[in-house]
Amino acid sequence: MQKIKDFINNADISRFRFWLQLFFFIIFIYGGYFSINLGNSIPIFSCGYDREVGGMCYFLPLQHQLARPLDVLFSVASISVLIGFITFLVWFIVFNKAWCGYACPLGTMQDWLTSLRKRMGIRYSTYTQPQFQKLKKIKYLMLALVILAPMGVGMGLLGGEWRTAFCEICPGRMITPLFVGDTSQWSLNFSTKSAMILTSLGLIITGLFFVGSFIKKRFFCFFCPMSAMHYIFSDAALIKLKKDGDKCTKCGDCYNVCDMQIKDIADDITSKNILRDDCILCMKCVAACPEDDALHVDILNMKVFTSTKGGFTKRMQMDKWEKKDD
Amino acid sequence: MVDFMKRDKDDIYSKPILGFLFKNQKFLMALKIVVLALFVYALYFGFTHTGKDNLFTRAVFWGVFWSLFMVITLPTFGRIFCGICPHGFMGKYITKFGLKKTMPNWMQNRYIGVFLLVIGWWAIYYMFPGLFRTPLGTAIMFTVLTLVSFVIYFIYKDMSYCKYICPIGTLTRAYGKLSFTWLGTYKSACDECKTFECATACPYHLKPFTFDKKNSMSDCTLCMDCSDACEAVSFKYKKPSFSLWSKFKIVKAEIWAFILILASIPITMSFHHGIGRSNAAGDMIWSTTAETLKGYISFGSIDPIGLFAFLYAVLFTVLAAVIGMFVASKILKKDFSSTFYDLGYSYAPLFILGSIAHSLETFFMRGYKQIVEGFAQGFGLTVEVASLAKRGDSWLHMFGLLKWVAITWALIILYKRMKLLDVTKMRKILAYPFAASLIIFFLSVNIYRGYIIDTYGRASGGHGNHGGAGMFQTVPNDKATLLQSGKNKTSCIACGMKLPMFYKTNHAAHLGGKDRQYCSIHCLAEEKNVKKMPIKDFKVVDVKTLKFIDASSAFYVVGSKKKATMSEVSKYAFANKKDAIVFSKRYKGKVVDFETALKIAMKDFDTAENRMANNPLPADIVYFVDKNPAAKKKRGGGGHMHGGSRGQVPTKKVWPIFKDDSNKLNCIKDISADLYLLDFNLKVTKARQGRKLGCKTVSFKMPDNGYYNLFYSDKMVDEGILYNTVAKYEYRRFNHSNDAVYDEQKMSEHSIKEVPFDILRIREKGETFFHRLYSGEKMRIKVILDGKPIKGADLTLSTKTGWSKTIKTNKDGIAAFTLLKDYFPQWNKFDRRHKSEFLLTASYTKDIKGKYDDEEYEKIIYTATYPSVYYPEVSGYKSYAYGLLAATTAMIISGFVIYWYRKRREKPFQEVRFDAKD
Repeated sequence: MQKIKDFINNADISRFRFWLQLFFFIIFIYGGYFSINLGNSIPIFSCGYDREVGGMCYFLPLQHQLARPLDVLFSVASISVLIGFITFLVWFIVFNKAWCGYACPLGTMQDWLTSLRKRMGIRYSTYTQPQFQKLKKIKYLMLALVILAPMGVGMGLLGGEWRTAFCEICPGRMITPLFVGDTSQWSLNFSTKSAMILTSLGLIITGLFFVGSFIKKRFFCFFCPMSAMHYIFSDAALIKLKKDGDKCTKCGDCYNVCDMQIKDIADDITSKNILRDDCILCMKCVAACPEDDALHVDILNMKVFTSTKGGFTKRMQMDKWEKKDD
Repeated sequence: MVDFMKRDKDDIYSKPILGFLFKNQKFLMALKIVVLALFVYALYFGFTHTGKDNLFTRAVFWGVFWSLFMVITLPTFGRIFCGICPHGFMGKYITKFGLKKTMPNWMQNRYIGVFLLVIGWWAIYYMFPGLFRTPLGTAIMFTVLTLVSFVIYFIYKDMSYCKYICPIGTLTRAYGKLSFTWLGTYKSACDECKTFECATACPYHLKPFTFDKKNSMSDCTLCMDCSDACEAVSFKYKKPSFSLWSKFKIVKAEIWAFILILASIPITMSFHHGIGRSNAAGDMIWSTTAETLKGYISFGSIDPIGLFAFLYAVLFTVLAAVIGMFVASKILKKDFSSTFYDLGYSYAPLFILGSIAHSLETFFMRGYKQIVEGFAQGFGLTVEVASLAKRGDSWLHMFGLLKWVAITWALIILYKRMKLLDVTKMRKILAYPFAASLIIFFLSVNIYRGYIIDTYGRASGGHGNHGGAGMFQTVPNDKATLLQSGKNKTSCIACGMKLPMFYKTNHAAHLGGKDRQYCSIHCLAEEKNVKKMPIKDFKVVDVKTLKFIDASSAFYVVGSKKKATMSEVSKYAFANKKDAIVFSKRYKGKVVDFETALKIAMKDFDTAENRMANNPLPADIVYFVDKNPAAKKKRGGGGHMHGGSRGQVPTKKVWPIFKDDSNKLNCIKDISADLYLLDFNLKVTKARQGRKLGCKTVSFKMPDNGYYNLFYSDKMVDEGILYNTVAKYEYRRFNHSNDAVYDEQKMSEHSIKEVPFDILRIREKGETFFHRLYSGEKMRIKVILDGKPIKGADLTLSTKTGWSKTIKTNKDGIAAFTLLKDYFPQWNKFDRRHKSEFLLTASYTKDIKGKYDDEEYEKIIYTATYPSVYYPEVSGYKSYAYGLLAATTAMIISGFVIYWYRKRREKPFQEVRFDAKD
């Protein structure tokens, strides 16, 4: 038992993560070719516009369901909304935000762009804290768009093209189908004014997505409404990221490796549950923590991956450095 | 006592407007006096105006206070209703001079109030509907309550009436816990206090300085007397229902108030008024029980269905709560009563939020009108306002959201209260669904009601028994005089509408010694002047006495504000001229005699539609359109069809039309041709024309997804030619459901053997339910004669814009058209759902001699028509070039901005030198 624990705690998490991400990428983007279908309540951006999708992003069906006329929505049709939502919750509760760090194809793409930048030797950008505090609120606005725009259609206040208003501006709709050779989403729709505005916004955001995620790690995840939706229910999830404030030395390693620039991970020594709304549960911080048990990932209060001195030395290849110094 | 207090930010007393409303004693006093005066005046008005025309008393009691004001303020601001309650206001002074005895123990029982409300009000409400809601009933009930309360206030101390006897005392106390306000004190000041002014000022002798510590405002009615006595009293914003998230002293009666009120209001209403108005009402358990028991017991004037709906609702609700909690208590290993009363507070939001939704809906639909007109009446004015919304307005459904908020909120409270229990997590998780049993029950009743109404449909005329909400014309069945006899005696002989429903406009006449009764003068005029039937002895219902009188001596009020039957202009008849004038003064309109009224009624028939209706000549080409050809304006631009109103099978209505010699468009007055329907299942049935006069329509029901083909087939001989005229209408119904299966065999093109000549649109490979024709596409058409493809038939495609082309069919009977782009709007007016209508006409002449209907002919001319639409092609409004341009521009600009930004920050290190001399 102890051996297994040591093995996990000493593991090279970034390599493990790379392969897992690739696996999920293939499942979600090319799942249709292997007739894999995980349903359409998946809590990540595996875009439904990809015709070979192996499991659909929950927002597409959700928006369609909410766009029903209100009297229909609040009667029997609410059962189907409820079922979809419960399926979403069940999926989500098992892995918590690890969906973002390990399974989301859009996130994976951003990680690949980041590694491309690294190879090209260009340095990355960060936000300042005030910028960060302002920008992180955008995802809640996006979530409001996801929910309110289709309901506006259902009430008859908005035109039909607002039914999937978020999907229209989501870069996933443009990029994901590219992987199965479908470029049909890259067109500007001139049929109505709002369709024109939405699709051109979408394409501009796609352009920004490429540049942004090239120089800023996980650029889009700051604005992702799915991330906001996750955070609302993350208290109920089985996997948790926890911090033991007593053991923290505030060295700041965790903050430095964090792709999402979450300051609390280093600063906050009072709260036990350290999962914040931006977190993607990539567990880089746990791997980078040099203190025993200061940060750990729990499943049902069982530590499965925890920071250890040994693991830290191994991952940092301290022994090699020491040898070199000799 | 404290004279000055630096107030916190979240203290309502420190807010400019709200602070004034809740703190200013002069304002509060004035408000209480106004409410008291209103209360007394409404009671007085109720005793003096006992009839139905008294809008004022009802507006005060049932319009403003219950349920609107009370229900909306309770879960938001808390018990502010109690703060301005006239009973409490008067009680404060009565108690001061009263005997100040302690209430006997048996009376110190909150269940008295709860049962007074549930049994004394709701049970009676369902047993004798409409008893209390009359002005007199209201006035008597409130007078009795007032007298009782005054006596109790006088004898006993501490306003005990409010706590124990008042029917809504426990209810408001319980639901007030959901509010976001909290009356407390500033601890810093109270720690040093030795005078306790707040407690002496409180008419209830409560101690406001203990509220925070006890986490309960106990019986505080927010009368704000304490805030006048001491400045240290605060009234703060808090998180809604925050006090339920931690421990406090439980009051068992509150839990029972939640459960019983949930049972007697939303659940019984769902049973009795929701499901009870569907077509499945008779099969429900309360109806069957009532029916069975009717055989044994005489119920007198009691409404047994209402009574049993209520009893079953109480039974089911209590069972759901108790059984669920019992199982939960076993899982939690706690005793039942502590589990039940601890977790029972989670039931709080269920009733009250749903009730807000209902109150607001009622307010917008009729409450606003009733309140404004009622108050105007009370103060001697006549005001008429329009309602703010109509039943069925789509935005009203927004309030339906509140029900879901209620359920979510209840689940959250249950979660928070479960957290307080000292049990292992696993047990809590297991027990949670059982503890939520009543919440789940409430949810399922709601869904079940929706399901029943969707599946079985609303019973027609259902709202008649809700007390005056029905139409002006309607009278109860037993008040209507029916002159006809036989099975259909309750229906209008001309149009089939129910006579009692439109009784006040009923007319009657004699035809060959038999009585004919009409719903209105419209149907009478139709038979007399349009159908030219020899009817005589016209009679009409007198609106005043509801008796039939001689029409020729009646006085008609024409064009009043009261709605008409089958017409735009209403016509109501009176025996007495005075009554007619009074009616016309009140509701406008002018008084005329029968002849004039009949002439006005005849105007209904002189419409564009009737002038347009003719019958086709044999050579005319008939085709179907799906819009009323006589309608002046086009209806709003199509969009999504969601198939009729909910729960009904969608119906498609089409009009057969033709162009005559002068190229004028005509609709058909009376369809003599055969009509066939080929449905989704390839079954052929006969179709029938609509009953309405004017442009004749054909409607067909579409129960399932698939193609529906309607055929119009006519044969006529004229001048030695047999004309075989076929019109076809093909329509695909698709409800976008996920489990619709595209059966290629059924969905392919089909003809029927009843029709000799037919046009078929050949399905291309890969067609789905979403198939549409687009401009630029090729469309293949097959023409068949007697079931076989025919070569050399003329096939014409003509678009609505006037373009047309004729080609001959090849040896397989097939002709192909490319659909031309004929939609060139301004770019900003582009509609991608624009339908370019076109008509296919096939004709074929066969030289053959024969006989049809004893008339000889030398040749046969076959014609067939097929209307359809196509949409603008996708490349017409979608552009890759612009799309890529937008994306790359964004990329280049943002890339450049970042590059420039980084470049600018890379300032080279500049050495600064100082001269040694300085």
